[in-house]
Amino acid sequence: MNEPILTQHQQMENSDRYKNLIVVLTVFTTVLAAVLAALQADANIREGVASRDSQYLAILASGELQRAGLESNYEFSVLGDYLQNLQEGTVLELTALEQETSGKEDAAQASREIAALSQARTGIGEKFSILYTDPRYAPQNDDDLPKAEQYLTDIFEKANEIVAQQNEAADEYHNWDRKADLYVTALTIIAMAFFLFGMAQALKDARLRLTFAFFGIVVIGFSLLITVTTLLS
Amino acid sequence: MKRSSWFTSRFEIINAILIAVVSLTTAFAVWRTNVVGSNADDENRQGLIDAVKKQAFGNEHHRKVYEEAGFAYQFAVKQAEALALEASDDSAAQERAANIQQYLLPNMQLLAQPLATDEKYQNADGTYDLQKRLTDMQNAEEDQLDPSASFARADSLFAEQRWLVVGSVLLAVSLFWLALAEVSNGRLRTSGFTIGLAIYLLGILWFVGVELIFFYTRRGGS
Repeated sequence: MNEPILTQHQQMENSDRYKNLIVVLTVFTTVLAAVLAALQADANIREGVASRDSQYLAILASGELQRAGLESNYEFSVLGDYLQNLQEGTVLELTALEQETSGKEDAAQASREIAALSQARTGIGEKFSILYTDPRYAPQNDDDLPKAEQYLTDIFEKANEIVAQQNEAADEYHNWDRKADLYVTALTIIAMAFFLFGMAQALKDARLRLTFAFFGIVVIGFSLLITVTTLLS
Repeated sequence: MKRSSWFTSRFEIINAILIAVVSLTTAFAVWRTNVVGSNADDENRQGLIDAVKKQAFGNEHHRKVYEEAGFAYQFAVKQAEALALEASDDSAAQERAANIQQYLLPNMQLLAQPLATDEKYQNADGTYDLQKRLTDMQNAEEDQLDPSASFARADSLFAEQRWLVVGSVLLAVSLFWLALAEVSNGRLRTSGFTIGLAIYLLGILWFVGVELIFFYTRRGGS
């Protein structure tokens, strides 16, 4: 008479077995998911800041490149003007000498007057050109040309520095972006663990319950592995 | 003893209510954390917009300064040319110089203004102070654009978000202990409940503390 009651009791015990373990595992997974979410949020913040810095530096670099371009364009236009006037003046002086030698006094006088104009323009060009006024670029001897390459290096130095910083920020952005993505992967895997523990909770058979719990633990282990490697990288 | 028995008999209901409250608090904490993060993103966006505007102003100023510098240079060249003609012994050259000075140079000077017209931009050697002209070009609207201020506010909000996330984790941990208490018996149940409640209160305090600290920090900074 008592036998069926005992069997029913045993069945109930069997179906309740490991239930507490599953609950503990589920709650542990919840905490793990919360910690992972915190890590993901942190990675996202760092990614956002690096992305912003990279964009801001790109704006600054483009502005600096434009400024350097305008300034060098102006300077080289003045230099070109100066060199043209200098050569024109020299050629006209030579012409005047030749004309004088061949007895064309009036023509020689006219050539000298035009040469004087070229020389006047040359004087202004020399005064306005940084390549002749700045001792860093000015030629040391009369026959030398100004150090234009040094000028170009100096004028684009700031832009190059900003671009280098921008590259660093872009690299940092990619690094944190990769980490944030990996944390999302780990979180997605944890969602699978939730599913497996949920199945384990719902099932009545103790062996099946343990099987699902085991796979849930394996999945959590995999997620932890991704988290730790990402954290250390 | 009687009180203890009352608590024990209703523990599961009390704990279930507490779990519900903690869940709601966690949801609120997550919402608030996201709002702070969203505000930080807004500040970042504003900072970038300001940076683009400021750079556009800067670009335009530089373009204009070098355009004016080009005209001013041409004016200086023509002026030197006129002086050279004037110095000539040839009367025809002197007449040309007079005409250039009377008709051409005033127009070129107008084109080269203000560098060629305003004395404050003229250096002693006859060149022009381009840096001063550039400084004078900056206007009040441009001065108001301060991307670094927006970025500093964004950084502060991001820092707050980070600490608020820690608060959310504390609340999640308290859920763990309370749930553990729900499924346990005896001393484990009591200790789980106590630890869960303590961590919950700590989480709340943490959250409020972070909010207050950052509120006053930003207020002091602004």
